[in-house]
Amino acid sequence: MYLTLENITKVFPPRGGVSEVTAVQNVNLEIKKGELVTLLGPSGCGKTTTLRMIAGFEFPTTGKIILDGEEINSLPPHKRDMSMVFQSYAIFPHLNISENIAYGLNVKRLPKSEIEKKVNRVLELVHLEGYGHRAPTQLSGGQQQRVALARALVMEPKVLLMDEPLSNLDAKLREEMRTEIRRIQKELNITSVYVTHDQIEAMTLSDRIVVMNEGVIEQIGTPVEMYRYPKSRFVANFIGRANFVSAVVQKQHDRNLTVKALGEVITLKNIKGEFVADSQVTLIIRPEMTRIKKSGELFKGTIRRAVFLGDVIEYDVEILGQTITGIETDPHVMDLFPEGEQVTVGFAEGCIQALPVE
Amino acid sequence: MQANPSNLVYPASNASGIKRRIREFALIGRDPVLFIGLLLSGIFIFIFVVFPLYRSMIGGFISKEGAFDLTYFGRYFDAYYGPALRRAFTDTMLMGLLTATAGTIVGFIFAYAVVRCQIPGKKIVHWLALVPTVSPPFALALSMILLFGRSGLITHELLGIEFVKGMNDIYGLDGLVIVQTITFFSVSYLMLKAMLERLNPAMEEAAASLGAGRFYLFRTITLPLLIPGIAGSFLLLFVESLADLGNPLFIAGNKTVLSAQIYLAVIGEYNYQKASALSLVLIIPTLVIFLIQRYYVNRRTYISVTGKPAGSQIREKDPIIRWVVNIITYQIIAFIILLYATIIYGSFSSAWGVDFTPTLKHWSMTLTRGVEAILDTTFLSVLATPVAALLGMVIAWLVVRKKFTGKDALDFASNLGGAVPGTILGIGFVMAFNKPPLALAIVIYALLALFYAQVIGKRGYERIIILVVGTAIGVTLTKLEPRTMYFTLGGIYLAIAVVLMISQRKFAKPLAIAIIGIYVMSTNWATMLTKPIAAFSRSIERGFWSNATVQFADHIKVILQPTPALLAIVLAFAGVVLLQGLSGKALRVGIGVLGLAVPCALSFVDVPFAMVGGAYIIMAAFIVRSLPASVRSGVAALQQIDPSIEEASNILGADAQYTFRKVTIPLILPALLAGLIFSFTRHMTSLSAIIFLVSAKWRIVTASILSEWEQGGVSIAAAYSTVIIVFVLVAIFVLNLLVNRMFKGRGSVDMSQGF
Repeated sequence: MYLTLENITKVFPPRGGVSEVTAVQNVNLEIKKGELVTLLGPSGCGKTTTLRMIAGFEFPTTGKIILDGEEINSLPPHKRDMSMVFQSYAIFPHLNISENIAYGLNVKRLPKSEIEKKVNRVLELVHLEGYGHRAPTQLSGGQQQRVALARALVMEPKVLLMDEPLSNLDAKLREEMRTEIRRIQKELNITSVYVTHDQIEAMTLSDRIVVMNEGVIEQIGTPVEMYRYPKSRFVANFIGRANFVSAVVQKQHDRNLTVKALGEVITLKNIKGEFVADSQVTLIIRPEMTRIKKSGELFKGTIRRAVFLGDVIEYDVEILGQTITGIETDPHVMDLFPEGEQVTVGFAEGCIQALPVE
Repeated sequence: MQANPSNLVYPASNASGIKRRIREFALIGRDPVLFIGLLLSGIFIFIFVVFPLYRSMIGGFISKEGAFDLTYFGRYFDAYYGPALRRAFTDTMLMGLLTATAGTIVGFIFAYAVVRCQIPGKKIVHWLALVPTVSPPFALALSMILLFGRSGLITHELLGIEFVKGMNDIYGLDGLVIVQTITFFSVSYLMLKAMLERLNPAMEEAAASLGAGRFYLFRTITLPLLIPGIAGSFLLLFVESLADLGNPLFIAGNKTVLSAQIYLAVIGEYNYQKASALSLVLIIPTLVIFLIQRYYVNRRTYISVTGKPAGSQIREKDPIIRWVVNIITYQIIAFIILLYATIIYGSFSSAWGVDFTPTLKHWSMTLTRGVEAILDTTFLSVLATPVAALLGMVIAWLVVRKKFTGKDALDFASNLGGAVPGTILGIGFVMAFNKPPLALAIVIYALLALFYAQVIGKRGYERIIILVVGTAIGVTLTKLEPRTMYFTLGGIYLAIAVVLMISQRKFAKPLAIAIIGIYVMSTNWATMLTKPIAAFSRSIERGFWSNATVQFADHIKVILQPTPALLAIVLAFAGVVLLQGLSGKALRVGIGVLGLAVPCALSFVDVPFAMVGGAYIIMAAFIVRSLPASVRSGVAALQQIDPSIEEASNILGADAQYTFRKVTIPLILPALLAGLIFSFTRHMTSLSAIIFLVSAKWRIVTASILSEWEQGGVSIAAAYSTVIIVFVLVAIFVLNLLVNRMFKGRGSVDMSQGF
């Protein structure tokens, strides 16, 4: 493993009337060389603190940070060979674009000609050729973002850290930069840790996603694993949307699980995990795993809300007192069911996962 | 996005508080710049703020013989001294209340006129309102007397009033309050102006849209939002008024106030115990208010003064209110102009009150006899200015950016020196540095030596060798005859430089060490260098130039012969910076020992920190007084800089020192320049803190004004005042020019932070 976090805990001492705060607790994480790992979670979940500990701006209270086989716990940021893209970009306002990008190279005392070569190459990489002599204030938000990225990349860091780098951009630009960052990261094969609270960003960018909540890691996995096999309600809800339906296990045969839910018995295929009969489970049913038809499906329900969203139609259906959100993705369906309509609902049994009741 | 961990409270972990402190210090130790900054500012504040204040506070309880003694406090309650003392106390408080009230009202009127009444000539009004803050402390009292005194221009010449005994004249509480109001209202004006500008117009518009009439609106919205500012300005003016020494000495007449009582106890009776006791009486109300201001009023502020002014301003629509406010403002401005014009004309009139014909004779006196004071003051002010401004920036940086135990204490203490009445600080300085206890030198040296050994040595035993042997050699060196000692000390540095140059094959650092070595030796050559200059001065005709040349010789001596104990502190830090990270155990220990021996010898030579009568104690007093202003301007500047800018530099490979130099300093340069000017202004105009520190050799203009005044040299006093005002205005003008030229569009200087 290239970068390892071993049992990291960070406790902020009490200060100025705020009592002691444990921001990160027992975090274990292994990152391979060239991998892009995203730390995803709501604000206050400890993802930024974790990133800042990797960078060296905070020191872990307990635990070890190991980079390339060496413990770097007590190394100050400037000796870690990492670079970081900040949420606010943190572009030096008193230097022009070239000087900004060359800053770290100047610290290293590289020869002038080499610095110039590297700066030009990285400007090309982020598509900012010819902008070198501009002042930071003359650039748009997206361009400033590219400068911040270029300034980090030019250092050829062992690890590239990004702290919500896209959150100050508008939606369209964010989408563009997302692809751009991924392209460059792959091109340079640069080990990266990316912090965000935006699940789509995490899904599109990452090799692996780490979902954090209240200072602990909830789950680590590839985007597909995270979406298909969430290990907790928190993850299921944070990545994508989900209906949670309680059910009682009837029997399990290999990966087929027969449960009783919403008054009917269904058999789910492709289940991960072992369950004993008569135990309580929670089914994770994503909206796209529903089929809402006038008739012919197993469950009977009443439409409570119908919204036309353009690409899909979204329904809230009440089945035995519980509201299930479902979507209709078939473009041939022209008319919405009116509210109050009696419908039947079916589920994609091959996709639904079950969680033991916590 | 910064994680907001406040909702994640877990049970306390097992590490105890003390352990955590130690860990914290270990972490600070990894960041030598932080440590040096912390230690340097901590030591400065300890020596020059905490220690002197402590001395002046307890001085009142200790008699000449060193016994515990309450005589001077008891006098407040006895029948003989009691009534007069108590009256002085109540008069002082009354003066404070009246000045604070009047000053706040005037300040509010000015702020309202400038922000909301579109007063014509807004810029000029603004700058004229600030002039009193940059003039010497009693300039206005002087011109009030020239205008309204017993033989004043207006009272006597124009109105023909003959003063008889018992008649109410300008002297006394009424005149004093008028003068203080004009002198101090600028502070209130700046505070309230900032608040009015930052008052969000939407709030008043919302109230108006809900049907509030204009007076109802003012009473229920505008005023409550401004209350913290008004309260803050009131308290600040109260403290300023109590601390004021210059004006009461001039114009209080037969009323006595505490600050003047303290002054007289020292100058008249040479009774430091009495002065200390009175200081304690004065400092208690001051400190109470300082604390209320800091911990109560500031926390109840709805409007953040550090933010940007609101985009648009509400304008006063009622023409009657607008013009009433504007006309009052103009009248006060006119009065201020009149007062300053009087000072300037006063310096040219033959004999004020008798003969108003213009003459240059006072100026020629001022420029020959007074050139010493003018040059000394300017020289010491200029020399102290960069130290004050840089120290201010370092403290501001520590306070805003760093987390460490004792941060609040540092912030508090750095403000304290400027907040307490200057007389108290001055007394403390005399008591602390006349015969300073050896313990002070030992504590300071121990701190420095521990830090030095910690950085230079790599292992425990190396550190112990450096500490013990270095100190032993140092103490032995103090036994040498001074001349030999300085040559030896300088020689040690030269030797270190040579060894390093040969063994490490580096050039820059050894060169710096060699220069330090020569500088240390040059102490011995100072007299040799200055003798010909002094001789030359005697060869030219007595007058301005000969006096100026003598001063020049003195100033060279100041630069070459610093107080050894202070030099030791600087050298210890220089050693840390220049000698750290040596490879080779023998080299490290050997050079480490020698590098410590020099500061050690200097720490204990003669009587350490015995500085009374010298130039350095005056500079120290200057710096202590101006520090809060430069800290404030630094804090304001730093708070506007995103902390991730410094972190970005850090993670790009730059250490704290490089970051501070290449990123932080350039970004706060406007504030640094402002800090320089604020400091210079404070230095040039300070009186109360340095009045007890002036000596025959080191004269300060403000003190000279006072003594001229006491001898009846009104016109010379006026000439001196003019000189100071002109110097300060020129300095400010140059700053403004510089800032506008160099930093157009990048961070403007907020002058209000300086007062």
